[in-house]
Amino acid sequence: MTDRFLTVGKSLHRKDAWDKTTGKALYTADIPIENLRVGMIVRSPHHYARILDIDKKQSLEIPGVLAVLMSDDIPGDKVFGPLIPDQPSLARDVVRHLGEPVVLIIAETKRAAQEAANQIQVSYEPLGAVFDPVQAAREDAPQLHQDGNVITALNIKDGDIEKGFQDADHILDDTYTLPRIHPGYMEPETSLAVWGEDQTITVWVSSQHPFTDQRFIAAALDLPVENVRVKSGVIGGAFGGKEDSSLSILAALGAWAIKGAVRLVNTRRESFIAHPKRHPAQIHYKLGAMSDGTFTALKAEVHMDTGAYASYGPAVAAILTETLAGAYRIPNVQVESFVVYTNSPLSGAMRGFGSPQSHFAVESMVDSMAEEIGMDPVQIRRANILKVGEKMFTGVTLNETANALPICLDKAQEIMDRFRAVEVSPGKKAGVGMALAAQSMGLGANVPDDSTHRLEWAPDGKVLIHLGAPDLGQGLAMAVEQITAEALGLPYSQVESLPLDTLDRPNGNVTCASRMTYMAGNALIDASEKLIQDLLAHAGEILEVPAKMLVYKEGQIIKEDGKKLPVVEFLGRLAEKSITLTSESTFSFPYPEETTPQGLPIGMPHVLYCFGAQVARVEVDPDLGTVEVTHFAAIHDVGKVISQSGVEGQIEGGVATGLGYALYETMLRKDDQWVDSFTEYLLPTSKDLPTHYESIILEIPEASGPYGAKGIGEIPLVPTAPAVANAVKNAVGVRVKKLPITPERVLGFID
Amino acid sequence: MKTITVSFLLNGKKTSVTSLPNRTLLDVLREDLGLTGAKDACGGEGECGACTVIMNGNPVNSCMIFIGQIEGTQITTIEGLMEKGEFHRLQKSFVEAGAVQCGFCTPGAILTAKTLLDNNPHPTDHEIREGLSGNLCRCTGYNKMIDAIHLAEQGGLDD
Repeated sequence: MTDRFLTVGKSLHRKDAWDKTTGKALYTADIPIENLRVGMIVRSPHHYARILDIDKKQSLEIPGVLAVLMSDDIPGDKVFGPLIPDQPSLARDVVRHLGEPVVLIIAETKRAAQEAANQIQVSYEPLGAVFDPVQAAREDAPQLHQDGNVITALNIKDGDIEKGFQDADHILDDTYTLPRIHPGYMEPETSLAVWGEDQTITVWVSSQHPFTDQRFIAAALDLPVENVRVKSGVIGGAFGGKEDSSLSILAALGAWAIKGAVRLVNTRRESFIAHPKRHPAQIHYKLGAMSDGTFTALKAEVHMDTGAYASYGPAVAAILTETLAGAYRIPNVQVESFVVYTNSPLSGAMRGFGSPQSHFAVESMVDSMAEEIGMDPVQIRRANILKVGEKMFTGVTLNETANALPICLDKAQEIMDRFRAVEVSPGKKAGVGMALAAQSMGLGANVPDDSTHRLEWAPDGKVLIHLGAPDLGQGLAMAVEQITAEALGLPYSQVESLPLDTLDRPNGNVTCASRMTYMAGNALIDASEKLIQDLLAHAGEILEVPAKMLVYKEGQIIKEDGKKLPVVEFLGRLAEKSITLTSESTFSFPYPEETTPQGLPIGMPHVLYCFGAQVARVEVDPDLGTVEVTHFAAIHDVGKVISQSGVEGQIEGGVATGLGYALYETMLRKDDQWVDSFTEYLLPTSKDLPTHYESIILEIPEASGPYGAKGIGEIPLVPTAPAVANAVKNAVGVRVKKLPITPERVLGFID
Repeated sequence: MKTITVSFLLNGKKTSVTSLPNRTLLDVLREDLGLTGAKDACGGEGECGACTVIMNGNPVNSCMIFIGQIEGTQITTIEGLMEKGEFHRLQKSFVEAGAVQCGFCTPGAILTAKTLLDNNPHPTDHEIREGLSGNLCRCTGYNKMIDAIHLAEQGGLDD
């Protein structure tokens, strides 16, 4: 079959890649600015304490110090938050986590700022801190916020849970524990703010949603939103972590205070302790099954540690909860989830947004159940996967893309057989494991999710995409350029996306939730059609023929007599009349009434799912407990590949992050301090990853997607950790229920 | 604290810098010389490789080099890798192989790869994995970087 696509599905070069290989790409920390001043944040040394006094007198006397700012100096809103405005920009009266910002110093040099920071006298009265979310949920725990520590309590039921367990021949009950994870983007949080004339300010951010930064900055500085211009620097990775404001409010506050230019850059240590992480969670999971493997009941209780402030905790809880049954049909379900404040650093959005946690529980448990019953791991999954038209326990009906599930299992079976045949290294024990995954797309029902993007056909024939959402580094720009080139029948080289600027770009909403290629792609296909109609209308006027007699194809206008005229000629004529062809379109994430169950808490349910399976082969040293992942395969349905290299890159990078979750990463509290550097927090290096790796990409078109595409941003890391845990169990018979799978856990020394 | 003046060859040009001695090569490149291709991702702790430059033919973390140590050295940063307006074959191969995502680690990874190929023109996968292991990347999973390095060592790049 010949490929009907010109551009979509191809492996092309990213246009931003050249500047990134030469050092020309300007990230926010790189942007040169005249008379730039340095911002530095004085942070809480306590996990929980009352602030008794802040004496800034001495620090103000240091030469080169321009401003020393506290909560009282903020002219507008003193707190912010993406869901709940509970987070102070600068602490007031109390600090609730180690590293919380207390004072902002602005100075001429780093040295002066550092000296001022050393001279600040803050008196604290330490309070008893609480770190465990189960303990913090109790009434006798220290209450960190006015309304108590439990911010979200979900209780979702389907069927008859008692009957479900009565019907079961086998019941298993386990607790799975997930660690705190750093998103690990290479570019730490940073922001650059420049005060302008007439009460205006321009702020560069490294952010997944600059329009939210704009709103927060305006509120904090008590300025009209239109006085705040937010621009996106090149972004050095985000992975969900930059959905929260990344220093933009404080950089803006500093610039406002000195009426000048201020840059703030977090050190990696600050990034660790003071910016949101993946939620640690404890998941109590009870599964019932009949002796033929059919699941009958699931009861789960989840405690999530969201740290000192809510961030996206309640929203993460929604996806964690909704995906607790994985891709399986379980007729009787009761799930209770609690999001709890503690004195830990904040937890918020991170790639997967709850489903890496839920899948570790469900996919570990499914393997345990297979073993209990005496079934093959693939066979038990085959008996329980949801089919097209069947309902998840939230009431969501799966569409035809669920046909990916049995194909994922077929492929996984073939690969497992192949991996099992690999010769074992001397002295090692080998094991093969797999896991399946269902990852939602979108922000959830009843959360407004409109994404607007604009096209401009420049007089030289180039089509400019005024992309309303930032490329985080994953290659969104390339994907939407490919889609737009396809829709207009133009070469990829003729389509270019522009960086985000709130001044004159449409609001495309936040880049997250595996959906921006889907959202922007749909909007831009529609905008392309509008652009063509507009072009034909103008061309008709110029040629003095009815527009309907003209046809547009691949950069040319074809007249009724078959004569082809290049579009550039018309664009030139229009430019002479000061007419620029533009079009704009908004795509709203669809929550069709007939397939969107109502009556659930806001943000639930998620109605569109991506599917995948992964297979790991490990070799375990039975004496040392070390685990090496030697072989790995990732099978993912993407609907339709837009960018071949982009999809591969998302899968390969996601798997690497998943392997870090499985084997290495955990932000522990040691000696009352948080692990806060890459010396102790181990990101996978090139030496740590499997040398045999394969991606298998499935294409089952999503009817609502641009050319059939759905998302691939998050799911590649979702089944990774349970696949590895299942392989370790297969190799040495040890079921590790707490991540990461360290040698001590494999040998059974801890937990 | 007294300033010191050091002279060195930077991207082939004689350069001298006057600075406090407690500053690092990374600080001086970024803050004094406007060369921001070298990045700080780990907080100046020598853990991430994002600030890698080539010093006398070897890859170094510029955040771990004090300015006094660079007197008389030859230093190549990512800004100096193009020759006569031509991209280096590793710059081409990183683009060609899709090894660039967010790009924050890219300059350091390319410079590390250059020294790897200078010393070992045809490395094995294993040697590449060893050689790159000081350059952290969260986006790519390294596979496409390894492909890119093979692409560069084997030739066959489109010009």
